[in-house]
Amino acid sequence: MDLSLLRVELCVAVWIFVLLAADVFLAPAKKEGLSWLALAGIGIALVVSLQPLPIGPAPTGLFALDGVSHYFKPLFLATAAAVILMTQAFRPQMPQHPGPFYVLLFTSVLGALILSSIQDLILLFLGLELLTFSLYIMAAYLKTDGRSVEAGMKYLILGSVSSALLVYGIALLYGAVGDTSFAAIRAFLASGELTLAAQTGILLVLAGLGFKLAAVPFQLWLPDVYEGAPAPVVAFLAVGSKMAGAVALMRLLFLALAPIQPWWSPILASLSVLTLLYGNLGALGQRNLKRLLGYSSIGHAGYLLMGFAVGTLDSARAVAFYLLAYLVSTLAVFLIVCAATDELGGDDLDHYAGLSRRSPGLAAAFFIALLSLAGVPPLAGFVGKLLVLMSAVAADRLWLAGIGAVNVAISLYYYLMVVKRMYVDAPPSPSPVRVPAASLLALGALILLILGIGICQAPFLSRINLALIF
Amino acid sequence: MVTVTHYVVASAALFCIGLAGVMSRRNVLMILLCVELMLNAANLLFVAYSKAWGNLHGQMIVFFVITVAAAEVTVGLAIAILMMRQRNTLDADAVQSMKW
Repeated sequence: MDLSLLRVELCVAVWIFVLLAADVFLAPAKKEGLSWLALAGIGIALVVSLQPLPIGPAPTGLFALDGVSHYFKPLFLATAAAVILMTQAFRPQMPQHPGPFYVLLFTSVLGALILSSIQDLILLFLGLELLTFSLYIMAAYLKTDGRSVEAGMKYLILGSVSSALLVYGIALLYGAVGDTSFAAIRAFLASGELTLAAQTGILLVLAGLGFKLAAVPFQLWLPDVYEGAPAPVVAFLAVGSKMAGAVALMRLLFLALAPIQPWWSPILASLSVLTLLYGNLGALGQRNLKRLLGYSSIGHAGYLLMGFAVGTLDSARAVAFYLLAYLVSTLAVFLIVCAATDELGGDDLDHYAGLSRRSPGLAAAFFIALLSLAGVPPLAGFVGKLLVLMSAVAADRLWLAGIGAVNVAISLYYYLMVVKRMYVDAPPSPSPVRVPAASLLALGALILLILGIGICQAPFLSRINLALIF
Repeated sequence: MVTVTHYVVASAALFCIGLAGVMSRRNVLMILLCVELMLNAANLLFVAYSKAWGNLHGQMIVFFVITVAAAEVTVGLAIAILMMRQRNTLDADAVQSMKW
Protein backbone atom coordinates (compact mmCIF):
# COMPACT_ATOMS: atom_id res chain seq x y z
CA MET A 1 0.00 0.00 0.00
CA ASP A 2 1.38 3.35 -1.06
CA LEU A 3 0.03 6.16 1.09
CA SER A 4 1.69 8.81 -1.07
CA LEU A 5 -1.09 8.24 -3.62
CA LEU A 6 -3.51 9.52 -1.00
CA ARG A 7 -1.46 12.59 -0.12
CA VAL A 8 -4.07 15.21 -1.06
CA GLU A 9 -6.90 13.33 0.64
CA LEU A 10 -4.76 12.82 3.75
CA CYS A 11 -4.00 16.56 3.93
CA VAL A 12 -7.70 17.38 3.80
CA ALA A 13 -8.59 14.62 6.29
CA VAL A 14 -5.96 15.78 8.80
CA TRP A 15 -7.19 19.35 8.45
CA ILE A 16 -10.71 18.24 9.32
CA PHE A 17 -9.39 17.30 12.77
CA VAL A 18 -7.35 20.49 13.03
CA LEU A 19 -10.51 22.49 12.34
CA LEU A 20 -12.53 20.45 14.85
CA ALA A 21 -9.90 20.98 17.54
CA ALA A 22 -9.61 24.68 16.77
CA ASP A 23 -13.38 25.03 16.92
CA VAL A 24 -13.38 23.48 20.39
CA PHE A 25 -10.47 25.45 21.86
CA LEU A 26 -10.90 28.89 20.25
CA ALA A 27 -12.73 31.51 22.28
CA PRO A 28 -16.09 32.42 20.71
CA ALA A 29 -14.84 35.92 19.89
CA LYS A 30 -11.97 34.51 17.85
CA LYS A 31 -13.98 32.02 15.79
CA GLU A 32 -13.82 34.41 12.85
CA GLY A 33 -10.24 33.20 12.43
CA LEU A 34 -11.49 29.71 11.55
CA SER A 35 -12.12 30.73 7.96
CA TRP A 36 -8.44 31.70 7.60
CA LEU A 37 -7.40 28.41 9.19
CA ALA A 38 -9.62 26.59 6.69
CA LEU A 39 -8.09 28.57 3.84
CA ALA A 40 -4.61 27.64 5.08
CA GLY A 41 -5.59 23.96 5.00
CA ILE A 42 -6.88 24.26 1.45
CA GLY A 43 -3.67 26.07 0.51
CA ILE A 44 -1.49 23.25 1.84
CA ALA A 45 -3.59 20.63 0.05
CA LEU A 46 -3.44 22.71 -3.15
CA VAL A 47 0.35 22.81 -3.04
CA VAL A 48 0.45 19.05 -2.45
CA SER A 49 -2.01 18.40 -5.26
CA LEU A 50 0.13 20.35 -7.72
CA GLN A 51 3.17 18.12 -7.12
CA PRO A 52 4.05 16.13 -10.26
CA LEU A 53 2.64 12.65 -10.64
CA PRO A 54 4.75 9.67 -9.53
CA ILE A 55 6.24 7.90 -12.52
CA GLY A 56 5.31 4.25 -12.71
CA PRO A 57 3.00 1.69 -14.26
CA ALA A 58 -0.69 2.39 -14.71
CA PRO A 59 -2.31 2.26 -11.29
CA THR A 60 -4.65 -0.59 -10.43
CA GLY A 61 -6.94 -1.24 -7.49
CA LEU A 62 -9.62 0.90 -5.89
CA PHE A 63 -7.95 4.26 -6.18
CA ALA A 64 -5.75 5.85 -8.83
CA LEU A 65 -3.66 9.00 -8.90
CA ASP A 66 -3.54 9.42 -12.67
CA GLY A 67 -3.70 12.28 -15.13
CA VAL A 68 -7.45 12.78 -14.81
CA SER A 69 -7.45 13.02 -11.03
CA HIS A 70 -4.27 15.11 -11.09
CA TYR A 71 -6.03 17.62 -13.34
CA PHE A 72 -9.25 17.80 -11.32
CA LYS A 73 -8.00 17.72 -7.70
CA PRO A 74 -6.59 21.29 -7.75
CA LEU A 75 -9.87 22.48 -9.26
CA PHE A 76 -11.87 21.02 -6.35
CA LEU A 77 -9.52 22.65 -3.86
CA ALA A 78 -9.71 26.01 -5.63
CA THR A 79 -13.49 25.77 -5.51
CA ALA A 80 -13.37 25.10 -1.78
CA ALA A 81 -11.09 28.13 -1.28
CA ALA A 82 -13.54 30.33 -3.17
CA VAL A 83 -16.44 28.98 -1.12
CA ILE A 84 -14.59 29.84 2.11
CA LEU A 85 -14.11 33.40 0.87
CA MET A 86 -17.82 33.48 0.05
CA THR A 87 -18.72 32.51 3.61
CA GLN A 88 -16.65 35.46 4.82
CA ALA A 89 -18.59 37.81 2.56
CA PHE A 90 -21.85 36.09 3.50
CA ARG A 91 -21.13 36.39 7.24
CA PRO A 92 -24.11 38.58 8.24
CA GLN A 93 -26.48 35.83 7.15
CA MET A 94 -24.57 32.90 8.59
CA PRO A 95 -25.15 31.52 12.11
CA GLN A 96 -22.78 32.46 14.91
CA HIS A 97 -20.86 29.16 14.92
CA PRO A 98 -18.93 28.80 11.66
CA GLY A 99 -16.78 25.84 12.81
CA PRO A 100 -19.01 22.91 11.81
CA PHE A 101 -19.67 24.55 8.46
CA TYR A 102 -15.99 24.44 7.50
CA VAL A 103 -15.66 20.87 8.75
CA LEU A 104 -18.60 19.86 6.55
CA LEU A 105 -17.11 21.73 3.60
CA PHE A 106 -13.89 19.79 4.07
CA THR A 107 -15.63 16.41 4.29
CA SER A 108 -17.53 17.15 1.15
CA VAL A 109 -14.35 18.25 -0.63
CA LEU A 110 -12.80 14.98 0.55
CA GLY A 111 -15.66 13.11 -1.11
CA ALA A 112 -15.10 15.04 -4.34
CA LEU A 113 -11.35 14.36 -4.25
CA ILE A 114 -12.01 10.64 -3.80
CA LEU A 115 -14.50 10.66 -6.68
CA SER A 116 -11.86 12.06 -9.00
CA SER A 117 -9.71 8.96 -8.40
CA ILE A 118 -12.20 6.10 -8.39
CA GLN A 119 -11.40 2.80 -10.06
CA ASP A 120 -14.15 0.78 -8.40
CA LEU A 121 -17.90 1.01 -7.89
CA ILE A 122 -17.57 0.73 -4.09
CA LEU A 123 -15.45 3.84 -3.96
CA LEU A 124 -17.86 5.55 -6.35
CA PHE A 125 -20.65 4.93 -3.85
CA LEU A 126 -18.64 5.99 -0.79
CA GLY A 127 -17.19 9.11 -2.39
CA LEU A 128 -20.59 10.18 -3.65
CA GLU A 129 -22.20 9.71 -0.24
CA LEU A 130 -19.43 11.56 1.60
CA LEU A 131 -19.85 14.47 -0.78
CA THR A 132 -23.64 14.47 -0.64
CA PHE A 133 -24.24 13.93 3.10
CA SER A 134 -22.15 16.96 3.96
CA LEU A 135 -24.12 18.96 1.42
CA TYR A 136 -27.49 17.90 2.92
CA ILE A 137 -26.45 19.43 6.23
CA MET A 138 -24.89 22.49 4.61
CA ALA A 139 -28.05 23.12 2.56
CA ALA A 140 -30.10 23.17 5.78
CA TYR A 141 -27.45 25.15 7.67
CA LEU A 142 -29.57 28.27 8.29
CA LYS A 143 -31.60 26.47 10.94
CA THR A 144 -34.04 29.30 11.54
CA ASP A 145 -34.69 30.01 7.87
CA GLY A 146 -37.62 27.94 6.64
CA ARG A 147 -36.43 27.96 3.05
CA SER A 148 -33.01 26.61 3.95
CA VAL A 149 -34.49 23.71 5.94
CA GLU A 150 -36.91 23.05 3.12
CA ALA A 151 -34.02 22.98 0.66
CA GLY A 152 -32.13 20.52 2.88
CA MET A 153 -35.19 18.29 3.19
CA LYS A 154 -35.89 18.16 -0.53
CA TYR A 155 -32.25 17.54 -1.32
CA LEU A 156 -32.08 14.78 1.28
CA ILE A 157 -35.18 12.92 0.12
CA LEU A 158 -34.38 12.99 -3.59
CA GLY A 159 -30.69 12.42 -2.90
CA SER A 160 -31.26 9.36 -0.75
CA VAL A 161 -33.62 7.84 -3.31
CA SER A 162 -31.03 8.35 -6.03
CA SER A 163 -28.30 6.81 -3.88
CA ALA A 164 -30.57 3.81 -3.30
CA LEU A 165 -30.93 3.48 -7.08
CA LEU A 166 -27.14 3.69 -7.39
CA VAL A 167 -26.53 0.96 -4.79
CA TYR A 168 -29.08 -1.32 -6.40
CA GLY A 169 -27.43 -0.74 -9.75
CA ILE A 170 -24.04 -1.62 -8.28
CA ALA A 171 -25.54 -4.80 -6.81
CA LEU A 172 -26.95 -5.86 -10.19
CA LEU A 173 -23.65 -5.12 -11.94
CA TYR A 174 -21.79 -7.09 -9.27
CA GLY A 175 -24.15 -9.98 -9.89
CA ALA A 176 -23.45 -9.90 -13.60
CA VAL A 177 -19.69 -9.40 -13.40
CA GLY A 178 -18.68 -10.94 -10.05
CA ASP A 179 -16.49 -7.98 -9.23
CA THR A 180 -16.91 -4.23 -8.82
CA SER A 181 -13.63 -2.92 -10.23
CA PHE A 182 -13.75 -0.89 -13.44
CA ALA A 183 -11.16 -3.16 -15.05
CA ALA A 184 -13.25 -6.30 -14.40
CA ILE A 185 -16.40 -4.63 -15.69
CA ARG A 186 -14.56 -3.54 -18.81
CA ALA A 187 -13.26 -7.05 -19.44
CA PHE A 188 -16.75 -8.49 -18.90
CA LEU A 189 -18.38 -6.02 -21.29
CA ALA A 190 -15.68 -6.54 -23.91
CA SER A 191 -16.08 -10.31 -23.91
CA GLY A 192 -19.70 -11.22 -23.33
CA GLU A 193 -23.07 -10.02 -24.50
CA LEU A 194 -24.92 -7.37 -22.55
CA THR A 195 -27.34 -9.17 -20.22
CA LEU A 196 -30.55 -7.56 -19.05
CA ALA A 197 -29.31 -7.46 -15.43
CA ALA A 198 -26.12 -5.71 -16.46
CA GLN A 199 -28.06 -3.22 -18.58
CA THR A 200 -30.42 -2.41 -15.71
CA GLY A 201 -27.48 -2.10 -13.35
CA ILE A 202 -25.63 0.32 -15.61
CA LEU A 203 -28.78 2.40 -16.12
CA LEU A 204 -29.34 2.64 -12.36
CA VAL A 205 -25.70 3.66 -11.75
CA LEU A 206 -26.04 6.30 -14.47
CA ALA A 207 -29.22 7.50 -12.76
CA GLY A 208 -27.33 7.97 -9.50
CA LEU A 209 -24.68 10.02 -11.25
CA GLY A 210 -27.30 11.89 -13.26
CA PHE A 211 -28.69 13.13 -9.96
CA LYS A 212 -25.31 14.65 -9.08
CA LEU A 213 -25.03 16.27 -12.49
CA ALA A 214 -28.69 17.37 -12.32
CA ALA A 215 -29.55 15.77 -15.65
CA VAL A 216 -33.21 15.37 -16.68
CA PRO A 217 -35.13 13.42 -15.27
CA PHE A 218 -33.18 13.74 -11.99
CA GLN A 219 -33.17 17.53 -11.84
CA LEU A 220 -36.40 18.14 -9.87
CA TRP A 221 -34.60 18.96 -6.62
CA LEU A 222 -32.27 21.52 -8.08
CA PRO A 223 -34.20 24.80 -8.53
CA ASP A 224 -35.68 24.62 -5.01
CA VAL A 225 -32.38 23.70 -3.38
CA TYR A 226 -30.58 26.51 -5.22
CA GLU A 227 -33.20 29.02 -4.15
CA GLY A 228 -33.40 27.95 -0.51
CA ALA A 229 -29.86 26.96 0.46
CA PRO A 230 -27.30 29.57 1.63
CA ALA A 231 -25.49 31.12 -1.34
CA PRO A 232 -21.97 29.75 -0.53
CA VAL A 233 -23.43 26.24 -0.33
CA VAL A 234 -25.19 26.74 -3.65
CA ALA A 235 -21.85 27.75 -5.15
CA PHE A 236 -20.28 24.51 -3.95
CA LEU A 237 -23.28 22.54 -5.23
CA ALA A 238 -23.09 24.24 -8.60
CA VAL A 239 -19.36 23.82 -9.09
CA GLY A 240 -17.84 21.21 -6.75
CA SER A 241 -20.68 18.74 -6.67
CA LYS A 242 -21.43 18.96 -10.39
CA MET A 243 -17.77 18.66 -11.30
CA ALA A 244 -17.40 15.63 -9.01
CA GLY A 245 -20.36 13.97 -10.71
CA ALA A 246 -18.89 14.76 -14.11
CA VAL A 247 -15.45 13.35 -13.23
CA ALA A 248 -16.96 10.20 -11.78
CA LEU A 249 -19.11 9.78 -14.89
CA MET A 250 -16.10 10.38 -17.11
CA ARG A 251 -14.07 7.71 -15.32
CA LEU A 252 -16.97 5.27 -15.35
CA LEU A 253 -17.75 5.76 -19.05
CA PHE A 254 -14.18 5.73 -20.32
CA LEU A 255 -12.59 3.21 -17.96
CA ALA A 256 -15.39 0.71 -17.37
CA LEU A 257 -18.09 1.15 -20.01
CA ALA A 258 -15.90 1.94 -23.03
CA PRO A 259 -16.63 -1.38 -24.84
CA ILE A 260 -20.36 -0.69 -25.01
CA GLN A 261 -20.12 2.92 -26.17
CA PRO A 262 -22.64 2.39 -29.03
CA TRP A 263 -25.15 1.36 -26.35
CA TRP A 264 -24.82 4.31 -23.95
CA SER A 265 -24.05 7.02 -26.45
CA PRO A 266 -27.65 7.49 -27.74
CA ILE A 267 -29.02 7.34 -24.18
CA LEU A 268 -26.75 10.14 -23.04
CA ALA A 269 -27.39 12.11 -26.22
CA SER A 270 -31.15 12.11 -25.68
CA LEU A 271 -30.72 12.98 -21.99
CA SER A 272 -28.42 15.80 -23.04
CA VAL A 273 -31.05 17.29 -25.37
CA LEU A 274 -33.78 17.06 -22.73
CA THR A 275 -31.49 18.57 -20.08
CA LEU A 276 -30.44 21.45 -22.31
CA LEU A 277 -34.02 22.33 -23.21
CA TYR A 278 -35.39 21.92 -19.68
CA GLY A 279 -32.68 24.06 -18.11
CA ASN A 280 -32.61 26.86 -20.62
CA LEU A 281 -36.37 27.11 -21.18
CA GLY A 282 -37.03 26.85 -17.43
CA ALA A 283 -34.69 29.74 -16.72
CA LEU A 284 -36.61 32.13 -18.96
CA GLY A 285 -39.35 33.26 -16.57
CA GLN A 286 -37.45 33.20 -13.28
CA ARG A 287 -37.52 36.10 -10.79
CA ASN A 288 -35.02 34.81 -8.23
CA LEU A 289 -31.38 35.02 -9.26
CA LYS A 290 -30.31 31.82 -7.45
CA ARG A 291 -33.22 29.93 -8.98
CA LEU A 292 -32.31 31.27 -12.42
CA LEU A 293 -28.72 30.14 -11.89
CA GLY A 294 -30.11 26.74 -10.88
CA TYR A 295 -31.92 26.33 -14.18
CA SER A 296 -28.87 27.60 -16.03
CA SER A 297 -26.76 25.02 -14.21
CA ILE A 298 -29.14 22.31 -15.49
CA GLY A 299 -28.49 23.71 -18.95
CA HIS A 300 -24.74 23.45 -18.41
CA ALA A 301 -25.17 19.82 -17.34
CA GLY A 302 -26.71 19.32 -20.78
CA TYR A 303 -23.49 20.45 -22.46
CA LEU A 304 -21.44 18.15 -20.22
CA LEU A 305 -23.71 15.24 -21.16
CA MET A 306 -23.35 16.16 -24.82
CA GLY A 307 -19.59 15.85 -24.50
CA PHE A 308 -19.96 12.46 -22.85
CA ALA A 309 -22.51 11.28 -25.42
CA VAL A 310 -20.06 11.95 -28.23
CA GLY A 311 -17.69 9.69 -26.35
CA THR A 312 -14.40 10.43 -28.09
CA LEU A 313 -11.16 11.39 -26.38
CA ASP A 314 -11.52 14.87 -27.87
CA SER A 315 -14.98 15.28 -26.38
CA ALA A 316 -13.72 14.18 -22.95
CA ARG A 317 -11.02 16.83 -23.19
CA ALA A 318 -13.63 19.36 -24.28
CA VAL A 319 -15.67 18.49 -21.18
CA ALA A 320 -12.58 18.99 -18.99
CA PHE A 321 -12.06 22.42 -20.52
CA TYR A 322 -15.77 23.22 -20.23
CA LEU A 323 -15.66 22.39 -16.53
CA LEU A 324 -12.69 24.73 -16.01
CA ALA A 325 -14.49 27.58 -17.79
CA TYR A 326 -17.73 26.84 -15.93
CA LEU A 327 -15.82 26.82 -12.64
CA VAL A 328 -14.25 30.26 -13.01
CA SER A 329 -17.43 31.88 -14.36
CA THR A 330 -19.81 30.35 -11.81
CA LEU A 331 -17.52 31.08 -8.86
CA ALA A 332 -17.26 34.72 -9.97
CA VAL A 333 -21.06 34.97 -10.17
CA PHE A 334 -21.53 33.47 -6.72
CA LEU A 335 -18.81 35.59 -5.12
CA ILE A 336 -20.85 38.61 -6.20
CA VAL A 337 -24.13 37.06 -5.06
CA CYS A 338 -22.68 36.21 -1.62
CA ALA A 339 -21.12 39.62 -1.15
CA ALA A 340 -24.16 41.54 -2.34
CA THR A 341 -27.07 39.59 -0.80
CA ASP A 342 -26.89 41.33 2.56
CA GLU A 343 -26.61 44.89 1.24
CA LEU A 344 -29.11 44.44 -1.56
CA GLY A 345 -31.61 42.87 0.84
CA GLY A 346 -32.14 39.58 -0.98
CA ASP A 347 -31.38 37.56 -4.08
CA ASP A 348 -34.36 38.33 -6.29
CA LEU A 349 -33.61 39.88 -9.64
CA ASP A 350 -35.42 43.03 -8.48
CA HIS A 351 -32.75 43.52 -5.84
CA TYR A 352 -30.11 43.77 -8.54
CA ALA A 353 -31.87 46.62 -10.36
CA GLY A 354 -29.50 49.48 -11.11
CA LEU A 355 -26.42 47.76 -9.67
CA SER A 356 -24.30 49.50 -12.31
CA ARG A 357 -25.10 52.88 -10.78
CA ARG A 358 -24.44 51.69 -7.22
CA SER A 359 -21.23 49.72 -7.87
CA PRO A 360 -20.03 49.99 -11.47
CA GLY A 361 -17.05 47.66 -10.91
CA LEU A 362 -19.15 44.90 -9.36
CA ALA A 363 -21.74 45.19 -12.12
CA ALA A 364 -19.03 45.00 -14.79
CA ALA A 365 -17.58 41.86 -13.19
CA PHE A 366 -21.07 40.35 -13.02
CA PHE A 367 -21.59 41.25 -16.68
CA ILE A 368 -18.38 39.50 -17.77
CA ALA A 369 -19.08 36.39 -15.67
CA LEU A 370 -22.65 36.06 -17.00
CA LEU A 371 -21.54 36.50 -20.59
CA SER A 372 -18.90 33.82 -20.05
CA LEU A 373 -21.61 31.48 -18.73
CA ALA A 374 -23.68 32.27 -21.82
CA GLY A 375 -20.71 31.55 -24.08
CA VAL A 376 -19.87 34.90 -25.66
CA PRO A 377 -16.43 35.28 -27.27
CA PRO A 378 -13.71 35.95 -26.27
CA LEU A 379 -14.54 34.67 -22.76
CA ALA A 380 -13.71 31.28 -21.23
CA GLY A 381 -17.25 29.91 -21.52
CA PHE A 382 -17.25 30.48 -25.26
CA VAL A 383 -14.19 28.28 -25.80
CA GLY A 384 -15.67 25.53 -23.61
CA LYS A 385 -18.93 25.48 -25.56
CA LEU A 386 -17.10 25.71 -28.88
CA LEU A 387 -14.88 22.72 -28.06
CA VAL A 388 -17.87 20.58 -26.99
CA LEU A 389 -19.87 21.49 -30.10
CA MET A 390 -16.86 20.94 -32.36
CA SER A 391 -16.24 17.51 -30.90
CA ALA A 392 -19.89 16.66 -31.65
CA VAL A 393 -19.48 17.87 -35.24
CA ALA A 394 -16.24 15.91 -35.63
CA ALA A 395 -18.08 12.74 -34.58
CA ASP A 396 -20.86 13.38 -37.14
CA ARG A 397 -23.47 14.38 -34.55
CA LEU A 398 -24.57 17.50 -36.39
CA TRP A 399 -28.09 17.47 -34.93
CA LEU A 400 -26.67 17.36 -31.41
CA ALA A 401 -24.35 20.27 -32.12
CA GLY A 402 -27.25 22.17 -33.71
CA ILE A 403 -29.43 21.80 -30.62
CA GLY A 404 -26.49 22.89 -28.50
CA ALA A 405 -26.03 26.01 -30.62
CA VAL A 406 -29.73 26.91 -30.40
CA ASN A 407 -29.49 26.63 -26.62
CA VAL A 408 -26.59 29.07 -26.54
CA ALA A 409 -28.96 31.63 -28.05
CA ILE A 410 -31.74 30.85 -25.54
CA SER A 411 -29.36 31.13 -22.61
CA LEU A 412 -27.98 34.41 -23.90
CA TYR A 413 -31.48 35.84 -23.64
CA TYR A 414 -31.98 35.21 -19.92
CA TYR A 415 -28.43 36.13 -18.96
CA LEU A 416 -28.88 39.43 -20.79
CA MET A 417 -32.16 39.98 -18.95
CA VAL A 418 -30.14 39.99 -15.72
CA VAL A 419 -27.66 42.41 -17.30
CA LYS A 420 -30.54 44.65 -18.40
CA ARG A 421 -31.81 44.82 -14.80
CA MET A 422 -28.37 45.92 -13.64
CA TYR A 423 -27.70 48.49 -16.32
CA VAL A 424 -31.08 49.89 -17.40
CA ASP A 425 -33.42 49.77 -14.41
CA ALA A 426 -33.31 52.40 -11.68
CA PRO A 427 -31.66 51.43 -8.36
CA PRO A 428 -33.81 51.41 -5.21
CA SER A 429 -31.07 53.25 -3.29
CA PRO A 430 -27.87 54.96 -4.48
CA SER A 431 -25.52 53.56 -1.79
CA PRO A 432 -22.61 51.49 -3.16
CA VAL A 433 -22.33 47.78 -2.25
CA ARG A 434 -19.37 47.06 0.02
CA VAL A 435 -17.41 43.87 -0.60
CA PRO A 436 -14.68 42.45 1.70
CA ALA A 437 -11.15 42.93 0.36
CA ALA A 438 -10.37 39.20 0.14
CA SER A 439 -13.51 38.53 -1.91
CA LEU A 440 -12.70 41.47 -4.16
CA LEU A 441 -9.22 40.10 -4.73
CA ALA A 442 -10.59 36.63 -5.56
CA LEU A 443 -13.21 38.16 -7.84
CA GLY A 444 -10.52 40.11 -9.70
CA ALA A 445 -8.44 36.96 -10.12
CA LEU A 446 -11.46 35.03 -11.44
CA ILE A 447 -12.37 37.75 -13.95
CA LEU A 448 -8.75 37.80 -15.16
CA LEU A 449 -8.94 34.00 -15.52
CA ILE A 450 -12.20 34.24 -17.48
CA LEU A 451 -10.53 36.63 -19.90
CA GLY A 452 -7.19 34.78 -19.86
CA ILE A 453 -8.63 31.31 -20.48
CA GLY A 454 -10.83 32.71 -23.22
CA ILE A 455 -8.13 34.63 -25.08
CA CYS A 456 -5.13 32.37 -24.60
CA GLN A 457 -6.37 28.78 -24.40
CA ALA A 458 -3.20 27.01 -25.53
CA PRO A 459 -1.52 26.36 -22.13
CA PHE A 460 -4.77 25.10 -20.61
CA LEU A 461 -5.51 22.88 -23.61
CA SER A 462 -2.03 21.37 -23.63
CA ARG A 463 -2.33 20.70 -19.87
CA ILE A 464 -5.63 18.89 -20.50
CA ASN A 465 -4.24 16.95 -23.46
CA LEU A 466 -1.36 15.72 -21.32
CA ALA A 467 -3.61 14.83 -18.40
CA LEU A 468 -6.56 13.13 -20.07
CA ILE A 469 -5.49 9.86 -21.61
CA PHE A 470 -7.79 6.87 -21.39
CA MET B 1 -33.88 -25.59 -3.12
CA VAL B 2 -33.44 -21.82 -2.84
CA THR B 3 -31.43 -20.51 -5.79
CA VAL B 4 -30.00 -17.08 -6.54
CA THR B 5 -33.04 -16.34 -8.66
CA HIS B 6 -35.27 -16.55 -5.59
CA TYR B 7 -33.14 -13.97 -3.82
CA VAL B 8 -33.12 -11.73 -6.88
CA VAL B 9 -36.91 -11.85 -7.10
CA ALA B 10 -37.29 -11.20 -3.37
CA SER B 11 -34.90 -8.26 -3.48
CA ALA B 12 -36.53 -6.81 -6.59
CA ALA B 13 -39.88 -7.01 -4.81
CA LEU B 14 -38.43 -5.27 -1.73
CA PHE B 15 -36.89 -2.58 -3.91
CA CYS B 16 -40.15 -1.93 -5.75
CA ILE B 17 -42.11 -1.78 -2.48
CA GLY B 18 -39.62 0.78 -1.21
CA LEU B 19 -39.78 2.83 -4.38
CA ALA B 20 -43.58 2.75 -4.43
CA GLY B 21 -43.56 3.83 -0.79
CA VAL B 22 -41.28 6.78 -1.47
CA MET B 23 -43.59 7.93 -4.24
CA SER B 24 -46.88 7.48 -2.38
CA ARG B 25 -46.08 8.22 1.29
CA ARG B 26 -46.27 11.84 2.41
CA ASN B 27 -44.73 11.54 5.86
CA VAL B 28 -41.02 12.28 5.89
CA LEU B 29 -40.28 9.47 8.37
CA MET B 30 -42.09 6.95 6.20
CA ILE B 31 -40.18 8.14 3.14
CA LEU B 32 -36.87 7.64 4.98
CA LEU B 33 -38.02 4.19 6.04
CA CYS B 34 -38.89 3.28 2.46
CA VAL B 35 -35.43 4.39 1.33
CA GLU B 36 -34.01 2.01 3.96
CA LEU B 37 -36.09 -0.74 2.37
CA MET B 38 -34.53 0.01 -1.02
CA LEU B 39 -31.02 -0.05 0.45
CA ASN B 40 -31.70 -3.34 2.19
CA ALA B 41 -33.00 -4.81 -1.05
CA ALA B 42 -29.59 -4.02 -2.50
CA ASN B 43 -27.90 -5.59 0.53
CA LEU B 44 -29.85 -8.81 0.03
CA LEU B 45 -28.77 -8.85 -3.60
CA PHE B 46 -25.12 -8.29 -2.65
CA VAL B 47 -25.13 -11.17 -0.18
CA ALA B 48 -26.91 -13.52 -2.57
CA TYR B 49 -24.52 -12.77 -5.42
CA SER B 50 -21.56 -12.98 -3.06
CA LYS B 51 -22.60 -16.56 -2.22
CA ALA B 52 -23.20 -17.37 -5.88
CA TRP B 53 -19.85 -16.03 -7.05
CA GLY B 54 -18.00 -17.46 -4.08
CA ASN B 55 -16.12 -14.24 -3.31
CA LEU B 56 -16.40 -11.79 -0.44
CA HIS B 57 -16.70 -8.51 -2.38
CA GLY B 58 -20.45 -8.40 -1.98
CA GLN B 59 -20.38 -9.03 1.75
CA MET B 60 -17.80 -6.33 2.23
CA ILE B 61 -19.96 -3.80 0.39
CA VAL B 62 -22.91 -4.66 2.62
CA PHE B 63 -21.03 -3.34 5.66
CA PHE B 64 -20.37 -0.06 3.88
CA VAL B 65 -23.98 0.21 2.79
CA ILE B 66 -25.25 -0.40 6.33
CA THR B 67 -22.93 2.28 7.71
CA VAL B 68 -23.91 4.77 5.04
CA ALA B 69 -27.60 4.03 5.58
CA ALA B 70 -27.21 4.75 9.29
CA ALA B 71 -25.50 8.06 8.53
CA GLU B 72 -28.25 8.92 6.07
CA VAL B 73 -30.99 8.34 8.64
CA THR B 74 -29.09 10.42 11.20
CA VAL B 75 -28.93 13.40 8.87
CA GLY B 76 -32.50 12.82 7.73
CA LEU B 77 -33.88 12.75 11.26
CA ALA B 78 -31.93 15.87 12.21
CA ILE B 79 -33.43 17.79 9.32
CA ALA B 80 -36.87 16.31 10.11
CA ILE B 81 -36.56 17.70 13.65
CA LEU B 82 -35.71 21.16 12.27
CA MET B 83 -38.75 20.92 10.03
CA MET B 84 -40.96 19.81 12.90
CA ARG B 85 -39.81 22.79 15.00
CA GLN B 86 -40.57 25.26 12.22
CA ARG B 87 -43.77 23.96 10.72
CA ASN B 88 -45.08 21.56 13.33
CA THR B 89 -45.66 18.90 10.68
CA LEU B 90 -43.75 16.11 8.96
CA ASP B 91 -45.92 16.13 5.87
CA ALA B 92 -43.76 16.37 2.75
CA ASP B 93 -46.58 18.17 0.93
CA ALA B 94 -46.35 21.00 3.46
CA VAL B 95 -42.81 21.69 2.29
CA GLN B 96 -43.61 23.93 -0.61
CA SER B 97 -42.90 27.54 0.22
CA MET B 98 -40.93 27.60 -3.02
CA LYS B 99 -42.79 26.53 -6.13
CA TRP B 100 -41.88 23.11 -7.47
